[in-house]
Amino acid sequence: MTFLHLTFYSTFTLSSLGLAFHRTHLISILLCLESMMLSMYIALSLWPIQTQTASSTLMPILMLAFSACEAGTGLAILVASTRTHGSDHLHNFNLLQC
Amino acid sequence: MDLPLILNSFMLLILLTLITPMLLSILLKNYQNSPTNIMYTVKTSFIISLIPMMLFMYMNIESISLYWEWKFITNFKIPLSFKMDQYSLMFFPIALFVTWSILQFASWYMSSEPFITKFFSYLLTFLIAMLILIIANNMFLLFIGWEGVGIMSFLLIGWWHGRAEANTAALQAVLYNRIGDIGLILSMAWLASTMNSWEIQQPLHSQTPLLPLLGLILAATGKSAQFGLHPWLPAAMEGPTPVSALLHSSTMVVAGIFLLIRTHPMFCNNQVALTLCLCLGALSTLYAATCALTQNDIKKIIAFSTSSQLGLMMVAIGLNLPQLAFLHISTHAFFKAMLFLCSGSIIHSLNGEQDIRKMGGLQKLLPTTMSCLTIGNLALMGTPFLAGFYSKDLIIESLNTSYLNTWALVLTLLATSFTATYSLRMTLLVQAGFTRIPSSTPINENDPAITNSITRLALGSIAAGLLITSFILPTKTPPMTMPLITKTTAIIVSTLGIMLALELSKLTHTFTPPKQNALTNFSTTLGYFNPLMHRLSSSKLLSKGQNIASHLIDLTWFKKTGPEGLATLQLKATKSSTNLHTGLVKTYLGTFALSIFIILFML
Repeated sequence: MTFLHLTFYSTFTLSSLGLAFHRTHLISILLCLESMMLSMYIALSLWPIQTQTASSTLMPILMLAFSACEAGTGLAILVASTRTHGSDHLHNFNLLQC
Repeated sequence: MDLPLILNSFMLLILLTLITPMLLSILLKNYQNSPTNIMYTVKTSFIISLIPMMLFMYMNIESISLYWEWKFITNFKIPLSFKMDQYSLMFFPIALFVTWSILQFASWYMSSEPFITKFFSYLLTFLIAMLILIIANNMFLLFIGWEGVGIMSFLLIGWWHGRAEANTAALQAVLYNRIGDIGLILSMAWLASTMNSWEIQQPLHSQTPLLPLLGLILAATGKSAQFGLHPWLPAAMEGPTPVSALLHSSTMVVAGIFLLIRTHPMFCNNQVALTLCLCLGALSTLYAATCALTQNDIKKIIAFSTSSQLGLMMVAIGLNLPQLAFLHISTHAFFKAMLFLCSGSIIHSLNGEQDIRKMGGLQKLLPTTMSCLTIGNLALMGTPFLAGFYSKDLIIESLNTSYLNTWALVLTLLATSFTATYSLRMTLLVQAGFTRIPSSTPINENDPAITNSITRLALGSIAAGLLITSFILPTKTPPMTMPLITKTTAIIVSTLGIMLALELSKLTHTFTPPKQNALTNFSTTLGYFNPLMHRLSSSKLLSKGQNIASHLIDLTWFKKTGPEGLATLQLKATKSSTNLHTGLVKTYLGTFALSIFIILFML
């Protein structure tokens, strides 16, 4: 695998692991989610340059739009939970516990 | 002078004479049978039967006569045919002689019985069925006689039907005989399908397969009380003594052996069947002799003695010597019937006492009976030149000089010595020593009904062996030369048995009660056969059947593989994945990490 592939894979994986293992605050999860999105954006942008297909230039723009929505949703969840529970600590989220 | 015609006519006349009392009581309105009537009928038949016997002895006339044919199916005809050959012509006078003596005795023994005429007519019916069996030329007529004697045995054993043990014994007799009948029907079916005829005089296969022979051996095992189907014979002593004397010593129990003698041509080439007969007979004779050693009831001792002698007859069949087996049947009838009649006289004289531990010193009190008891026991042991010697000694000589299984030989010799032992034990406890009977007993043997019948049979026990062997030629060459020790084996072994009995009898003088050990327990409980077969095997079978049918099937189909099993399976899956399905975010983050790792390692 080329150096570029390795970079993107490792960035994405590190971000996912960061998402899984930062267990204290919700906001760290959202940050990691953003970094996953970022690495995917850069990878998707470099791909049409590599393969010289101009029509695939559409893909990163679409992804950006959707990730913006998703980031907005995540922030809304963050604000709502902070307003309800007083903080964004993950161990407070036990409404669905059986 | 058309001699075969005379032969046939006289045989038919015998049967008609015997049927007459039964027929007349059915047909005529005011005809009453009486015991004396029936006894004289049998006596007349005996005298008539001497003529065909003499015709056979002097002129060697045999015949087969056919009276009627039942056209059953087109190519399978069942004729009503009689075979008058050596066996039937010799057996008729013997059976009729013994029956005459027994009926004469029974007119005294059963004199206080209200239904004595019915008893005598039962005995007569039995005799007719037995003679049909003997004279039958085909298996169908033989089967009629076979079943007839079985039914009459049931009715006669359960004569005192108010007694529960008598009913049980009668039922036992019928059930064990029925198991033997299965074998007989199997052989009949095989014969009907393979040889298309049930005739005995047809040239039977020289190489018969084993299956019909096994059926015949099973039939003989049931009827002649060989080991395996034997418990009914000691139990049959519940019937009155004349019944035991007639059925279970002389005539009915030899029917099985007689069947094997009649169908002998099928056997003589099949070594497996012959060896089976030999070993079965040897085992039966030893087993019965062992059981007789510790019996205390005089009739049971004689019953086991009968069983032992039947085993000896089976051994003779296994040696391929049917004529010798028939000779033993003939001589055995005399002394065994006499032993039973003597025991009947003792029992009535002591007012119903059958336990030999409560008899003793009867030698002076019942002289005629005791003399005849001694003669009978000596004949049973095979004392030289009495009746039993001619047949028993020949069988043992043939055993010693044939190429056969050593086990069979050893068992038979051991049984012969035991025969001497228990006969001597019985004699010592009944006749000799100090008397142990209660003080006032109706001891009286002055009735000519007793003395004449018993002495007649005693004469037969002494002379029958000599007479029969003098007049009948053997069909197979008997062994002529053998070493001295082989020749005297039977006598030596019997003498050893007598010495053993005398030594053991000395123990009784010291007043020590006999200790129980494994051997006495084995002998007293008849080899544990009765409780094993009657209780243990049936209860185990039924309980296992219940286990399999209800528990196993219910358990399998409903609990393990059916509805409940399905539920259990689901429950297991659910219980193991409950831990993962919490509602907490952190758990879900953990599974997310797991998925990441999996993807990492996949790429």
